[in-house]
Amino acid sequence: MTPAIPLLTRLGAASCLAISGVIHAQLYLHGYRMLPGVGPAFLLQASGALAVALLLALNTTAVLRLTAAGLAAGALVGFIASRTIGVFGFLEYGLEPEPQALISIVVEATALVLLATPLRHPRHGQHSSPRISLWQA
Amino acid sequence: MSTPEQRPEGMSRRQLLRHTAWFGAAVVLTVTGGEVISHLGGTPAPAAVAADPRALRFVQVSDSHLGFHGPANSDVTGSFARAVDEVNGLGFRPDFVMHTGDLTHLSTPDQFDQVRQMMRGLRTGQVFTVPGEHDSVDDHGQKYRAMFGAGTHGDGWYSFDIKGVHVIALVNTLALEKLGHLGVDQLDFIRKDVAGLSSDTPIVVFSHIPLFAMYPAWGWGTDDAAQALSYLRRFSSVTCLNGHVHQLFAKTEGNVTFYSATTTAYPLPHPGVGPGPIPVTLPAGQLGAALGIRDVTYQPGQHALALRDLRLADRKPS
Repeated sequence: MTPAIPLLTRLGAASCLAISGVIHAQLYLHGYRMLPGVGPAFLLQASGALAVALLLALNTTAVLRLTAAGLAAGALVGFIASRTIGVFGFLEYGLEPEPQALISIVVEATALVLLATPLRHPRHGQHSSPRISLWQA
Repeated sequence: MSTPEQRPEGMSRRQLLRHTAWFGAAVVLTVTGGEVISHLGGTPAPAAVAADPRALRFVQVSDSHLGFHGPANSDVTGSFARAVDEVNGLGFRPDFVMHTGDLTHLSTPDQFDQVRQMMRGLRTGQVFTVPGEHDSVDDHGQKYRAMFGAGTHGDGWYSFDIKGVHVIALVNTLALEKLGHLGVDQLDFIRKDVAGLSSDTPIVVFSHIPLFAMYPAWGWGTDDAAQALSYLRRFSSVTCLNGHVHQLFAKTEGNVTFYSATTTAYPLPHPGVGPGPIPVTLPAGQLGAALGIRDVTYQPGQHALALRDLRLADRKPS
């Protein structure tokens, strides 16, 4: 794998996370901030996703990748819960609100796939580049 | 060979510091970003809203069931008195208080008289009501309308404007089979009522039974609500507030947000939990946390209403 590929993968994951953050921020401002429990969760997801997306674009430290994956997975779990058992008594149906719901689950799932993609990362004293996972330190 | 700096089975101290630094940066940026986003929302401080004469503030109280006797709440009158006390202790005078139905448990004249007397203790601009099915047990709502129906249309529905907000109070408890029902006359009223309104007028709709399908198997929905909501689709902000289900719940459908309120009497099970919507007896000391009131604020220029649900648990009757 060429060095450009891990960089593109990382930037792709960061971009997806940033889009998720922007969508959650937009929905938070649009009215979700008024929902008990859900409002603070949207604010945390939006600010956390934007912050980690920025840092992920600068560095690929494992703690950032794990945090990014946690934010993306958390948003997806919240989406599923809000269509099934409810979140803090809040329930939505289908892909409402449009188009934010669909875009959000696509970019969050894509971010998880990109973050799970193994990278080649050169280490000191090694001529070859062993495969490491994004989940590894 | 392993050293404190570099151990093959774990990360080095340097790596640990690096991870900690990046995680710390993420936390700092998250907190900073959260501050920025929350300020972009422009939600004014509660004190500022209370002092703003343009802001609409009202209270929703629901399902008081005066006359109920049972282990789920052996003193519904005392609970309602605490709710009144809580409204009066909010620290501001609400523009109005809306009771979203089931004021009484069995629609007796004594129960209606008692609830009216108690609501006279509310320190507010006006008191409004919509009927619940318990307020029309044996007379299709005649005693309810005699007590609370002055100035209403049809079987007790009405609307009014206050501080730039259009309020619609609906009756969906009189013709119910299993689900709530509005009926042709009331649907026609809604259509005509909103026909002349600008699409940027905030709309607030009150009803007893939810206008969304919260749990139709228990009758927690209104069979012809879709028709009513179709008249409201063009408005940018529609908020529907209901009672009946005795628990907090929220849901969005496009431009419409639905909020179910809790009760001042006794809790009901969550949808589908147990054989049906029968009163839940909570362990001693836990009832107050399940009861409450809701205050709602609309600040001109804001898209959505701000809701705050308050429990009765922490307040003693005066």
